[in-house]
Amino acid sequence: MNSPYELEFSVAGEDFLAAGEGSNRVKETLKMLGIASDFCRRASIITYEAEMNLVIHARGGTVHVEICPEQLVLTTIDEGPGIEDVELAMQEGYSTAPDHIREMGFGAGMGLSNIKRNADDLAIDSRPGEGTTLRAVVRFAQGKGGIA
Amino acid sequence: MGHGVKIFNAACKGCVNCIKSCPTEAIRVVDGRVRIIPELCIDCGECLRTCTKKALGMDEDDWDTLRTAGDLQVMSDPTLYAQLGSYRRPGVVRDALSHFGVREVASEVPLAYDVGAYAIARALEEAEPGRKPLISTYCPAIVRLVQVRFPELLPRLVPVESPLEIAGQIWRRDHRDSNLTLVAPCPAKITLVREPVGREKSSFTSVVAVKRVTRDLLASGATAEVPQKPMENIRWLMWALRGGETRHVTQFLDRPVKTMVVSGLRNTLDLLQELELGHLPGVDYVECRVCDLGCIGGIGNAETRFLSEIRLRELPVRWELTEHEFGEVQELYDQGIWKLKVSPRATQSRTLGKNVAESMNRLQKLKKVYDELPHIDCGACGRPTCHALAEDIVRGEGEVTDCIFKLRDRISTLAREIADLSGHVPHTLRNREED
Repeated sequence: MNSPYELEFSVAGEDFLAAGEGSNRVKETLKMLGIASDFCRRASIITYEAEMNLVIHARGGTVHVEICPEQLVLTTIDEGPGIEDVELAMQEGYSTAPDHIREMGFGAGMGLSNIKRNADDLAIDSRPGEGTTLRAVVRFAQGKGGIA
Repeated sequence: MGHGVKIFNAACKGCVNCIKSCPTEAIRVVDGRVRIIPELCIDCGECLRTCTKKALGMDEDDWDTLRTAGDLQVMSDPTLYAQLGSYRRPGVVRDALSHFGVREVASEVPLAYDVGAYAIARALEEAEPGRKPLISTYCPAIVRLVQVRFPELLPRLVPVESPLEIAGQIWRRDHRDSNLTLVAPCPAKITLVREPVGREKSSFTSVVAVKRVTRDLLASGATAEVPQKPMENIRWLMWALRGGETRHVTQFLDRPVKTMVVSGLRNTLDLLQELELGHLPGVDYVECRVCDLGCIGGIGNAETRFLSEIRLRELPVRWELTEHEFGEVQELYDQGIWKLKVSPRATQSRTLGKNVAESMNRLQKLKKVYDELPHIDCGACGRPTCHALAEDIVRGEGEVTDCIFKLRDRISTLAREIADLSGHVPHTLRNREED
């Protein structure tokens, strides 16, 4: 039995330029393992959106990725403002991003719904004022098929 | 093999500049030899640009042999017409070439580009919104880049054959067994002939660089008559210039579409990355070229791309088709001659092991090896990055001491041990020394 392969990186708040690096690393790692490209794409979208959430909403945080032959588990932990209503935040187009970020073209309210669409499992534990922990799973064998 | 890049190991000085320029990290310099990992090479020609030692070149066919064999028939990429100030009209180039025994096959080419543009326009109109933006397949290096690095974008490649191949096919109908040489501006278009994507076999039998033909044309001192008849259809020449394809395609569209034109390797990589993350909503078509300013920036051209650009921009292009022209286009379109026969597939990625379990094991090892390396990506080991070296080591294709910093560490450890040992005296002599 292999021990899982772990990747961890921190994301700084409002650092729009750096976001995306983690998602690239995840994709490259999965490719080296020979994981089918559709799963690579889904994992990379989830990682990117999760990174962006840390950048836009949470004043930064850490991303932890655990890769096994069967699945990928992505966990982000932040000490940001937290989410008041997780169900509402999950709706497409709902966003609490401040105006200056929306003006830059980010924070369109698609992040969480995009993660949900691409993950096989998603759990969000959020305490307003304390922070948010997000856990998303992509199962390589019998996970959901490709969604554009 | 069948790639457009050729290696001259005798000229290589081991400077490792080439490995740094490769967008897919396909080059290694190991044991004094340049090695290109064939499944990763996209023939973009970036390594040729950076090699100042002439250790890398275009793998073209031998122009002198072709020319002296007689009855040479060539078909040219539009870039050829932007090479010479005085010969920029197709008729004039044809004339000049014929003066030294080269017949340029021309009548099919402008029509083929019209058909290609028309087919792309139809594909744009028929594509469901979820599949857009579609990506141009004109630049063969882009098609390969998508196959190698962005397989997720494969369904977005527009399923239209290169107009050069369309022209070749039309010509082949009447010339089944004749030879046809493509005059190409870059290694990618050499690969278009040698190892085509989207079809089994190319209509061309050989391929030479624009540079070679241009130089010969200049050296021959051939003079050409400037034809008096009105300018031919030269819309196709604009495909050599960034944005030319898009302009041609929009000619066949009733409704406006949002198009994006990008040229240069860096820009293309940025664009494809954005596309992969789904960040270009509302864009219908992406025309991208790995060379700056479009095909005139190809490494196989003789003229600087800046002058070529001016020349092409000065040409009086008639974009509207005559009724007769449109009829011909429609007819060929209906015959389906423009279709890619085979959909481009993802290049099998180089996994670390034979299966996921072995790959996982090697990945863990890779992490350990990589952590020990200096992470400055100096290239002195012959690999583009420390990560690539770590990868080669776990694959069994390299040693830790290929890294000069690790080698230095080993030497210094060894030196300390030697100094240490030199202080040791055989115990039988110890007392005597003290006396």
